[in-house]
Amino acid sequence: MNGWAGQVLDIDLTSGAMKTYPLDEKMAHLFLGGRGLGARLLWDEVGPGVDPLSPENVLIFANGPLTGTGYQTSNRFSVTTKSPLTGTVLDANSGGYWGMQFKKAGYDALIVRGQAEKPVYIDMKSSGITINDASHLWGKRVREVTKILGQNNNKRNVVCIGPAGENLSRIAAIMNDGERALARGGPGAVMGSKNLKAIVVEGKQRPEILDEDRFKFLLYETRKLLKASPLTSQALPEFGTSVVMNILNNIGALPTRNYRQSQFEHAEEISGEALTEKYLVKNASCWACPIGCTRISKTDKVEGEGPEFETTWAFGASCGIDDLAAIIEANSICNDLGFDTISAGSTIACAMELAERGQLDSDLRFGRADLLASTLEDMGYRRGLGNELAEGSLRFATKYGAPELSMSVKGLEMPAYDPRGMQGQGLLYATSNRGACHMRGNMLGLEVLGLPKLIDRFQVQGKSSYVILHQNTAAAIDSLVICKFTNMGVAEEYFARALAAVTGVPYTTGDLIKVGERVYNLERLYNIREGFTRADDTLPPRLLNEAVTEGPSKGWVNKLEPMLNEYYRARGWDANGSPKPKKLADLELADLVDVKI
Amino acid sequence: MIDERIFQQFSEIGRDLYEHTMISSHGGNLSIRLGDRVIIKRRGAMLGRLKPHDLIETGIEKNDSGVALASTELLAHRTIYQQTPALAIVHCHPRTAIALSLSRDEIVPIDNEASYLLKKIPIIWEEFASGTPEMANKLAATLQQYKIVMLRGHGSFAIGQTLDEAFFWTSTLEEACEIILKAKIIDEPFIEYRGMSSAYAKW
Repeated sequence: MNGWAGQVLDIDLTSGAMKTYPLDEKMAHLFLGGRGLGARLLWDEVGPGVDPLSPENVLIFANGPLTGTGYQTSNRFSVTTKSPLTGTVLDANSGGYWGMQFKKAGYDALIVRGQAEKPVYIDMKSSGITINDASHLWGKRVREVTKILGQNNNKRNVVCIGPAGENLSRIAAIMNDGERALARGGPGAVMGSKNLKAIVVEGKQRPEILDEDRFKFLLYETRKLLKASPLTSQALPEFGTSVVMNILNNIGALPTRNYRQSQFEHAEEISGEALTEKYLVKNASCWACPIGCTRISKTDKVEGEGPEFETTWAFGASCGIDDLAAIIEANSICNDLGFDTISAGSTIACAMELAERGQLDSDLRFGRADLLASTLEDMGYRRGLGNELAEGSLRFATKYGAPELSMSVKGLEMPAYDPRGMQGQGLLYATSNRGACHMRGNMLGLEVLGLPKLIDRFQVQGKSSYVILHQNTAAAIDSLVICKFTNMGVAEEYFARALAAVTGVPYTTGDLIKVGERVYNLERLYNIREGFTRADDTLPPRLLNEAVTEGPSKGWVNKLEPMLNEYYRARGWDANGSPKPKKLADLELADLVDVKI
Repeated sequence: MIDERIFQQFSEIGRDLYEHTMISSHGGNLSIRLGDRVIIKRRGAMLGRLKPHDLIETGIEKNDSGVALASTELLAHRTIYQQTPALAIVHCHPRTAIALSLSRDEIVPIDNEASYLLKKIPIIWEEFASGTPEMANKLAATLQQYKIVMLRGHGSFAIGQTLDEAFFWTSTLEEACEIILKAKIIDEPFIEYRGMSSAYAKW
């Protein structure tokens, strides 16, 4: 199987049993890898009603057919599981080096099941795979564990959890290569529940490429396009992902103080420009990435990767904080404890609003940068109020009688784009299968940046078409698995042609997007099997009922309902949001569910 | 009721197509996908002088009364939407591209812009080229792999996420064809300036 390694590794931590079996070729062609393959395997592995933190849940680490080939950004991998935060299907993916190394070890996927009796780590070497005692690592933070286990970017790579995962925080990340995160939805807690501290991998096998000449041409053309795009050749390398901070603020789509406003008066002070000017040491890249958006930043207290835009927003505008040094330090603590920075920052913002309203006895207030570090440490070790915050904003706000103050969808905290100023983004959040997410498709390109061309961000009619296309495209990219920033300079057409050159399977652009549609519908089926309905495809009441009071988005709420109706019809779903039999048959998913065609 | 902003997109692109001589007075058509609906030019309407009532809405899968009013190319547009990720279609009659389509099976640009953006434009044909399912299916299959295709002796079909994007591919094609034509008239040896250019024909 060119492109694919052709093998799945299965490790049962309860018994210590390991087995390897061939990757099903038809499954690979239909779902590719990463998110798609993960969703398909999860469908069989974790049935309805399973407690995400029980031994019956699994972690599926998966790369894709392009991973490790050297195609631009082909470094990524994903983890799929049932989310302890949302109860939905969950996949999170990350860059760096681990994914490439895992592919070189000769596997497409690793399924980890069961629960070890005591803390362990898995060591994958060409000489064999062992499950080792991790008692000496348990309790240690991410950077120390990564160092102890011998992280070496091109030879030996580490994924691990920090104290947040060990302590079963529902917003805990799995960290890889020291500073990168499989962040959203709490996969770190699932790893913690299995007493699995880390997985170390070494690999030597280069993936086989069927048509090397054609692949080289696609590498050449892709490089040309990435160099030509100011976004991928100038903006992201120079300012990192925070380059969009001022852009979003200027149009009134930067959620501020737990989404009470849509513009932050101090946006300039936490922007990508400010980060580069005051704290940037250098930029860095993931394996095989010519973009290099990673920031290495330094303050008086910390030095390390980040912060990304979403992190800067979550601890910055969302918490009303303009102290960029404090934000960089909060990011560093999250990386070391193993937290999802979006959920951590948004949960703290939620607590700040509760406290300002007098519904929470705490010193937390919007703008209190001085409390960020100690609050995060308390969350990581489950101390005091931190123990409650570690559950995520929805459970936290519900405990204090104000679930409406959790800015989340299906329990996953919303990222940094205000759906009142970007109507399509609201529909995208509401219908995202893992909860509110900007990586399940993003309307930033169409509604703000003009990629490929600008559309009216306030237009409601017809928005569903764009949202569906971008959700499907994102699912396809997540299944290849490559970085979505590549798609800011290079169209999906190139990815399909690279996939065809590598695998020999004649994928067209249409075929690739259809893989994405298949994955999206399978994830939807999973959530329906778990009891999710149309009622869960919604936004926080604030965004539907409280109009923006000033700025370029003044007067707007998100007009979700008409967009949602149009979306269901266009998806080929019924009025309750269930895929119709004809759609399932068209996507070759009908055999998974008991429906009459 | 079709959003005023959507009408404006049709009106501007339609006028540009006419002013750039890519259509005759009543030729060509435009459409966009809105969920499970398609908005398309009314049969016989002039793209260069569109009025709001010249836009017709009907289903992508299902017929309704809108079908009676829609462009004769409705079948092709629907089939493309059913079989590709397209959200917008521009069909027009770019004259130089049509002229070149009469003597070759594909157009491989020699200018930088079109080489960079399009690489190669396939040319397809059918005996009955308008309104037939054979032609519609052939168009859709080709547009699964390419963002613009030429129908020999007839015109181009381009797809995009917006009309703006599909028009971009269309105007890039016509520009490329004019450059090919002018280079042919100059008739001097071609100096290759592009890396790996021999691969364009295999795109």
